Amino acid sequence: MSEVTETIEAAGRRIAEAGLSAARPARDPVNRPAIRDWLAAIGDDNPRYEREGLAPPAMVQVWTMRGLRPSAPDDADPLRVMSDVLDEAGFTSVVATDCAQTYHRYLREGETVAVRSRLTGVAGPKRTALGEGWFVTTASTWEVDGEPVAEMRFRVLKYRPGATAPARADPIRPVTGPDSAFFWAGVDAGELRIQRCGKCGALRHPPGPGCPACGAFTPEYVVAAGTGTVHSYVVHHHPPLPGRRSPVTVALVDLDEGVRMVGELRGTRPAIGDRVQVTFADGLPVWRPAGIELPRWDLAVTPTVIISSALATRDFQDVHHDRDAAVRRGSRDIFLNILATTGFVQRYVTDWAGPAAVLRGIEIRLGAPCHPGDTLTFTGYAHGDEVAVAGRTATGEHVSGTVRVTS
Amino acid sequence: MNAAIAGIGATEFSKDSGRSELRLAVEAVRAALDDAGLRASDVDGLTTFSMDDNAEIAVAREIGAGELTFLSRIGYGGGAACAIVQQAVLAVTAGVAETVVCYRALNERSGRRFGQAGVPPGLDASWHYPMGLATPAAQVAMVAQRYLHDYGATTDDFGRVTVAARRHAATNPAAWFFGRPITLDDHRASRWIAEPLRLLDCCQESDGAVALVVTSAERARDLRRPPAVVRAAAQGSGPDQFVMTSYYREEVAALPEMGVVARQLWGRSGFRPADVRAAVLYDHFTPYVLMQLEELGFCGRGEGRHVVTEERLPINPHGGQLGEAYIHGMNGIAEAVRQVRGTAVNQVPGDGPVLVTAGTGVPTSGLILSGA
Repeated sequence: MSEVTETIEAAGRRIAEAGLSAARPARDPVNRPAIRDWLAAIGDDNPRYEREGLAPPAMVQVWTMRGLRPSAPDDADPLRVMSDVLDEAGFTSVVATDCAQTYHRYLREGETVAVRSRLTGVAGPKRTALGEGWFVTTASTWEVDGEPVAEMRFRVLKYRPGATAPARADPIRPVTGPDSAFFWAGVDAGELRIQRCGKCGALRHPPGPGCPACGAFTPEYVVAAGTGTVHSYVVHHHPPLPGRRSPVTVALVDLDEGVRMVGELRGTRPAIGDRVQVTFADGLPVWRPAGIELPRWDLAVTPTVIISSALATRDFQDVHHDRDAAVRRGSRDIFLNILATTGFVQRYVTDWAGPAAVLRGIEIRLGAPCHPGDTLTFTGYAHGDEVAVAGRTATGEHVSGTVRVTS
Repeated sequence: MNAAIAGIGATEFSKDSGRSELRLAVEAVRAALDDAGLRASDVDGLTTFSMDDNAEIAVAREIGAGELTFLSRIGYGGGAACAIVQQAVLAVTAGVAETVVCYRALNERSGRRFGQAGVPPGLDASWHYPMGLATPAAQVAMVAQRYLHDYGATTDDFGRVTVAARRHAATNPAAWFFGRPITLDDHRASRWIAEPLRLLDCCQESDGAVALVVTSAERARDLRRPPAVVRAAAQGSGPDQFVMTSYYREEVAALPEMGVVARQLWGRSGFRPADVRAAVLYDHFTPYVLMQLEELGFCGRGEGRHVVTEERLPINPHGGQLGEAYIHGMNGIAEAVRQVRGTAVNQVPGDGPVLVTAGTGVPTSGLILSGA
């Protein structure tokens, strides 16, 4: 183990052992001007906040952001202290990767929140697509007069800019042949096809040249309803899959037609017996929890969207508003910050669920960065109290996650 | 059946042999011939795994063998281990060869690691690998998850298989994990590989080689070592069989291919499960040890965990592939021979037969060995 690694790990242990930080109060109380700027930047027209004097739940982190010119060094924030250690070691760039927020209640105008945090994990050095870096995880609680109002698990990658990134491997692609081409043509056409014997009508999957039941070489197909039940599942963690981010959940699905099929399952932590429905992504059938499909939303991401949402979330990191600085740090342009992405996810779900819906939590993972010129396309599936949300750009999945909502 | 394993040989088991696979093969074959008291010129047959990268003729050249009359390979990864011994037995009893050496050599840790995500050729893989089932662990995990659901077993039941294996390996100087036993808490704390499998549910990756010399039982009796007579050898594939992904059968949490092997082994040998002194079960992943016990008839369906917790049967006294090394099941056959001879480091007393199985989740194989 290198000396740098030892120093970082020792600092991580020291900071983690210090436990929960002292409460760091927000500089300003929850206030209408900040809420209006945030709603405008996110494009959220939900009238409820202003009418009831409430703050959008996804804003919770905004209140305790330190601002452009912090008055004093924030020694109480374990993420800040750990980041200083990593800066010192050369891991000077930062990108947020995961955020899981739970809302006990909405904040009201005039309330002053304070946040307490503790360091829960420092893992590295890891080779990532951005370069070598360390993942830092913290757990935070926001309080109003000692009453917990929201919690958050937050993970960032602190990385060394300009370090050589490993070439991103291509995902494993299916091999097709004369006996299976119909299936993959179906995927391209948005159909889930099952081989059916033209003579005896027997269904089978995986398909083959003929029918093991009657021996005929007259394969046809039927289009499946696309619904089924989880027979078993796997959550793959290690080793890395080419071109994929772990964990990947894979389900063995009993189709309602009576055959079984393997496919990735997105948007839920499954259980055997769960009802699922098929969608298609990346040229493969992908399963989702059975439920209501949300209307798709295309967000045209302009520099104004990125910069206004960064400022409205009080995130003044240069990579979100200064193109030259972003390029210097190895990015191709400025990119959306995680607080804004969280806001867009909130807006997507409440636009669909209506102003009366109450959000209980938003849990997201970030993938491909979102730059000016991108179209960020949101899709979602609602099942029970959960909405699985994904936001994709042309380069890949920018965000995936789950929103818990009650009405 | 009238054949026996007359010699066993192996290299050291490591994570980085520092030598070619061919050299490992040659070292193991020479050691096995020495053990049997035979010379390279006695060898007239060679058999190995389809996956082995060392040509029979290269091994023959390097050991200095002369003419060969029998060359054979078996597919399906570790499922071949006992089947290549069956090939040798068939050749010897059919009279097409007199001395057949079975070998397997691999730099599986320092070279091509089976645990990494990769795609085998063929159309079958297209229904599984692109979707994210691209490692053996993930492919087994799909069956394991259903097994937990169907029979109410827990991941602790998987963990107890590893704890036992590591306890045995701890007293086996040839084992990679010699002197390093673990507790159930160590298993519980090990990281997820593919839920419900943790790191400590997965066998090691190893460098090494093992070779076995098969000849007629009659001739074996005159050689240097007491023979391990092959009382039964069997290969088996189940209905609707796939490689590691036989998910399309009515029952997913089962290994019917091992049932095919079991029925032949008991039928041909005349032994019953209760006669078995020790079982060397292929343990690439812990759930399949439990499921093999069920298929082999040591207990009912879903009851494998009770055989382990109640220690009803000595299993993998050498530490298995979880504890000793992963030589694709061949080190397990060598252990079975030592148990028959009475020379194993963790010797199980008695004179009953010893059962060995090969890789599961694929077309597989098994052997029953006993003394002359």
